[in-house]
Amino acid sequence: MIHLQGVSVVYPDGTTALDKVDLSIERGEFVFITGPSGSGKTTLLQLIYREMVPTEGKVLVDGQDVAKLPAWRVPLLRRKVGVVFQDFRLLPNQTVWENVRFALDVVGASRREKHRKVPIALELVGLADKANSYPDNLSGGEKQRVCIARALVNSPMALLADEPTGNLDPEISLELTELLANIAETGTTVVMATHDKMIVDKMQRRVVTLLHGAVVRDAKEGGGYHDRA
Amino acid sequence: MPRRVGGTTIELDTVEFLLQQGWQSLKRNGLMALAAICNIAVAFAVLSAFVLLAWNLEHMARKQTESAVITVELTSDAIPADVEAAINRDLRVKRTEFLSRDEALNRLAERMGYDKEALKLVGNPLPDMFIVWPNNPDDIPALAEDIKKIKGVSKDKDGVRYGGQVTKKLLVVARGVKIAAAVLTILLGSATLLIVGATIGLTIYARRREIRIMQLVGATNWFIRVPFLIEGMLQGMAGAALAAVLVLVGYYHVCRYTAENLAFIDFVYSPEMVALFAAGTILAGIVFGAIGAMLAVRRYLKIV
Ligand SMILES: Nc1ncnc2c1ncn2[C@@H]1O[C@H](COP(=O)(O)OP(=O)(O)OP(=O)(O)O)[C@@H](O)[C@H]1O
Ligand SMILES: [Mg+2]
Repeated sequence: MIHLQGVSVVYPDGTTALDKVDLSIERGEFVFITGPSGSGKTTLLQLIYREMVPTEGKVLVDGQDVAKLPAWRVPLLRRKVGVVFQDFRLLPNQTVWENVRFALDVVGASRREKHRKVPIALELVGLADKANSYPDNLSGGEKQRVCIARALVNSPMALLADEPTGNLDPEISLELTELLANIAETGTTVVMATHDKMIVDKMQRRVVTLLHGAVVRDAKEGGGYHDRA
Repeated sequence: MPRRVGGTTIELDTVEFLLQQGWQSLKRNGLMALAAICNIAVAFAVLSAFVLLAWNLEHMARKQTESAVITVELTSDAIPADVEAAINRDLRVKRTEFLSRDEALNRLAERMGYDKEALKLVGNPLPDMFIVWPNNPDDIPALAEDIKKIKGVSKDKDGVRYGGQVTKKLLVVARGVKIAAAVLTILLGSATLLIVGATIGLTIYARRREIRIMQLVGATNWFIRVPFLIEGMLQGMAGAALAAVLVLVGYYHVCRYTAENLAFIDFVYSPEMVALFAAGTILAGIVFGAIGAMLAVRRYLKIV
């Protein structure tokens, strides 16, 4: 579903963020992208949702070369690829329900569709009872669940999470990661960038490790953070 | 119910969402929007007042041009066809109309409200005449002098008459006003675009988080832009409507005053004219608002 072929990204200032990366992620897979700060995790995710185009190589999402997508098609790609960030990015003056519905509002969904899909997404992340709360009154873990619900409400094929547990305590982080793993079980590909060693070790899932922009290890059968290739 | 527009289905809920976003935008920057609306109102008031002035001057000039004719009386022994041919040889002449003494009497009777038959009994004192329309009202005095020399034209003092000498000055003034209106349109129009653009730029900045989220969850550019276009059009419309009301109220009082005190000034004033003026001004406001918003959106949305 997601294929990177010989992908390099060089920023205008000359920084090489990714260096000839080859990576294939199949439908329904759950993958950790790890590596030290500055190793290129965020950049890799940005390529997938077309926040960025590669300097070299190809990025295929659902069979499409995203670099060749005309600007007007990018929103359609974004509907297939949900994203979640460390800093949540919720609308503070909107309720949980409205924040999730927002993703349907802006793609022109019908009222009936909204009434059907929002509760399903909230149920999925275990926040059905917080529908009328405002983000400021939620814990960090709950906020991140709202973000996941918002990313999922359009039924994307993939969910990209960039350090989703960066602002959470270890216990909540693990719960949240387990939630993401469960989502992958339903057939949604999940790619999670993290440098949280504890989580990676506990989950024992596929781990792709980046160093200076290059893939230095791809533990397809699952592994810990520092396991050798 | 979904409605089909240009091949894509648009949900009623979506229309509501977009309108609501535009309105919220306007509300969020309430004070700034109010300032923009007042600015637009002033600009449009000045502009539309000039347009009205030009319109009226044109109207007066046109009326005077229509009445700018030379009346040529013939001697009793003249051959009308020969005189007409002689007059028409002059290139300054646009057209001529023959008025027989009977016809002239009829018209006079009509104008004065006399009984024609009764007048005929008294005897017709009028000669045959020609009405001459010049191509250019400016030529009238010289043309009249030349016509006087034609054989068969009465040599009486009032044998060749003309009036309507204000026309030329009026046309000059009208042209000046039109040029001023054009210059003002450019100046005040750009000012309006800048004002709308700056206000919308601020709303875009205030809403950058929302816009960012919209982009991430797959809103089309079109979708992100529409609320700002609505906001711009609302601003332009409100400002222009305010201007139209101000100017029309003022104009109404001017018209009433001149009708009572300066009856010779004939202003254009009718329900149709008021409706046309108001509609035109408001439409222009909407168009300028939309263009201003479009420019702002193109300029600021990329950097969000
Ligand atoms: N906009 C940019 N312009 C120039 N260089 C950049 C830009 N964004 C990132 N970089 C550089 O590219 C490299 C990879 O950055 P990236 O953000 O992908 O790393 P990361 O693995 O996500 O790091 P972190 O764990 O700190 O989030 C770094 O060296 C970074 O400094
Ligand atoms: Mg990062």
